[in-house]
Amino acid sequence: MSLQYLKEAVANNDTEKLIRYVRMHFGDGDEAAGRKEIDKAWTQALKLLLDVPETDREFILETLAEKNAATLAHLFFHLHFYFVRRSGEWIHDGQL
Amino acid sequence: MTDNSDAAQQLRPGLWQTINERYPGSMITKESYVSLARLRKPLRESRLTFVSTGGVQPKGTLPFDTVHPVGDYTFRRVPSHLKPADLEIHQLKYPTAGAMRDLNVIFPIERLQELAAEGIIGSLAPNFFSFIGYNMNPEALERTLAEDIAEAVEADGADVALLSPA
Repeated sequence: MSLQYLKEAVANNDTEKLIRYVRMHFGDGDEAAGRKEIDKAWTQALKLLLDVPETDREFILETLAEKNAATLAHLFFHLHFYFVRRSGEWIHDGQL
Repeated sequence: MTDNSDAAQQLRPGLWQTINERYPGSMITKESYVSLARLRKPLRESRLTFVSTGGVQPKGTLPFDTVHPVGDYTFRRVPSHLKPADLEIHQLKYPTAGAMRDLNVIFPIERLQELAAEGIIGSLAPNFFSFIGYNMNPEALERTLAEDIAEAVEADGADVALLSPA
């Protein structure tokens, strides 16, 4: 999907087109795979917190307070791939 | 620009259709074409550069942004004297298994060094150029990234640019 296609979706409040793009981005063009990838990232993040380990909340709160929304959005995409890689189930081998 | 009908013969059957289904609107169609320039001197007297969408970059440089949903519109200079061990790939959208075993299959830096050493190519420009092809903004790709690389190629004094999509 081109940027123009996505901007039109935003203008039309067509969230289905937008989330479909996110799924395809995470699934390397395969929407169903992308949906699984999103689930994979969230379950990985959840698993890491189940034992309630000590976390750096100061860092988190400072980051949220001090960084702009676009940087945080970019970080959000990075975190998705970070947790997918951590899962050990890496699908991004370039095979369409 | 590429003639799609010719390109289709070189692609896996159905791949073009698959890409259009999965990334609607991402394929660039062009009404205007830039004519290919003819060589002004023989290849054995020419300085050659290489431009790739393979996401190849010198180790230690800022990795290409493979996670950004709209793409990365930057490029990296790859000094043409480097060896594959000096380079790494940051790209998710094409099969890299073969290139991980031998980078020359996607970024033939050693083959071009050999051709220059044998005199088949006059010389190599000081830098090759690399970027990633996952870009959702065709205008930025053409007006910014391509123009920036073209300026850098010209500044390096290249007579010939070998272009290779990943």
